[in-house]
Amino acid sequence: MCDIIWCKKDFEGKPCNTINYLDPYCFWNWEGTINCAECGAVYYIHMIQGHMYKGPEDRPGEKPDTSPLYADKPLEGYRFYGAGIENRTRPFECLPRHIYLGVPDMVKFSIRNRPVRGWRPQPPDGGIAGSYRFNWDLKRLSPDVYEEYQQKIKNGEVTEW
Amino acid sequence: MPKDPRETRIEDLPGPKSKEELEEMKAPYEEFCKAKFDPGNEFSKPQALKGIRWLSTTMYIFTPHSVSNLAEMGAEVIKVEMPRMGDPMRHCAPFNETYLYPLHDSRPMTGTGMGYLNANPNEYHITMDYHLPELKEAFYSLVKMSDGLTECYRPGTFDRWKQSFRYLQEMNPRFIYVWGGGFGYGPKCFGGSYDILGQAHAGLASVTGMHEYMGGHATKHSNWCIDWYSGTQITFGILAAMLWRRKTGLGTMIEFSQVQAATRCLGYAAPLYGRFGVVRQRWGNWDTQLCAHGIILCGKSDYPDAENPQDRLEARYAMISAFQDEDWKELCAITGMKNLMDKYKSNNERAEGEAQIEIYAALEKWAADKSRGEVCKILQDAGLLAEPVSNDREYYENEHWRTRGTVRWMDDPIFGDVLQHGSYSAGMMSKTPRRLFWIWRPVGADNVKIYHELLGYPTKTVEEWYEKAWL
Repeated sequence: MCDIIWCKKDFEGKPCNTINYLDPYCFWNWEGTINCAECGAVYYIHMIQGHMYKGPEDRPGEKPDTSPLYADKPLEGYRFYGAGIENRTRPFECLPRHIYLGVPDMVKFSIRNRPVRGWRPQPPDGGIAGSYRFNWDLKRLSPDVYEEYQQKIKNGEVTEW
Repeated sequence: MPKDPRETRIEDLPGPKSKEELEEMKAPYEEFCKAKFDPGNEFSKPQALKGIRWLSTTMYIFTPHSVSNLAEMGAEVIKVEMPRMGDPMRHCAPFNETYLYPLHDSRPMTGTGMGYLNANPNEYHITMDYHLPELKEAFYSLVKMSDGLTECYRPGTFDRWKQSFRYLQEMNPRFIYVWGGGFGYGPKCFGGSYDILGQAHAGLASVTGMHEYMGGHATKHSNWCIDWYSGTQITFGILAAMLWRRKTGLGTMIEFSQVQAATRCLGYAAPLYGRFGVVRQRWGNWDTQLCAHGIILCGKSDYPDAENPQDRLEARYAMISAFQDEDWKELCAITGMKNLMDKYKSNNERAEGEAQIEIYAALEKWAADKSRGEVCKILQDAGLLAEPVSNDREYYENEHWRTRGTVRWMDDPIFGDVLQHGSYSAGMMSKTPRRLFWIWRPVGADNVKIYHELLGYPTKTVEEWYEKAWL
């Protein structure tokens, strides 16, 4: 569920017609002022448990406490203000937790500490028409992993099982 | 020595001198098997299907697996994939990072997911857009020099592209053509299929899992067991078709519905319905015919401090079996279920639904203050059959499977260190064992080998086709 403020103020000679999205995470229980992402008009709202208890009321001239998460203009071909646009939408500085970023944890060694070819990017080794050789030369193609592997052998970390 | 050196006397020959001595000198069965199967030395033995060439225009697990069985037995398999992208199964992977790079030379940041494992081993991987009239010649050339093909497109698709059995048998009358898919011909001809659909539609999921009365639901097996199972059944069909071809010189068309195959696992379900009008129900971790013969939940984990929840929380299930009257008495004596012993004297009485509910509840009550390991040890010490329900790690660490070579490490020529259990878990053969050369190859890795070296197209043509993304 996401409540909105549909701003219909005159802006540059026509109705603003911007939908400002109030994400529940921030606005679920909240009282204060918000700016419209397009025209900058300030509104007061009071939300309790996700319901608009008061507002939106005009508060011209007041400084907004916060901004909507994002906004769009569906009547004008979905012009869109994404999150984190200065003075329009709320700053968006945090990154999702690393597990949601889609950044893989690169594995270079199996659980018995022998090298796997499981990381990216791989050095190009395709021959004609994307053909690959039958053997992969660790020493030539990934000298750093080869070095690490030699170190593991020296330390006795490489096991049979 | 005999007077005449040409005379052979048994006492001069090495080896046993009498029947009794022969028996005495025989290696223990264990040693005999070890020497016969010799896990780890598969590569020194011949391959049963050497000389067979098979085309695999397949995707996902079901149809590829029908061919991977052949490849592990020594057939030369050419897997044809979509240019640049490859088999969609390459792009399905569980978890965060289980990709093996590279997928393809032009896509260094994309890898093949581990879901692709075991379905396409030992195969040559080429790419071809076989809609194109320009590549028809190459496709037909492959057909003329191959023994068969497995495809998985919707019924009639290959016919529309002029490469169905009707067309190919005219080029190669010995050709064995396999279509594997969802429903096969009939009213639902155009229904596609996945493993889960096979399990659901065939009626298998309706009898899997606990009864709703006990909080269960119709359940799909976590792994794609019907894909693997149906694929293997196709392989049987192929081997039989090859035998038929030796007798008659003629090819065969095999039409294989995955949904139909899953019905085969249902055992007595249809005859039961036919005779009594009874629709078979789910019975989860217990057995409909035998009791006690099921999996019970123990109170404590074997690894209460483990970090992995699969160990910490789930290592609590034990399979126990004591359905014969003597075993049942022993089980009751150990677990203190004397009242149940008197109440249910025969297996027929115990196998009744109400009886099973009472018996397994009592067993789980007895096991509530014990760990899985304790339960198994108590029962095994009493001579009963009991085994823990193992997880993957325990399977890997089990000495039994290591000795038999079922689970083993391999150094894949491209992808490096890979732990394998697929190829070597399918039974042992003393003369012509299965073996694994490589787990798979990048998309189009063998384009030059097949188009240039086998079919004789100049490398320039191959390169040109590649540039146009025809390959």
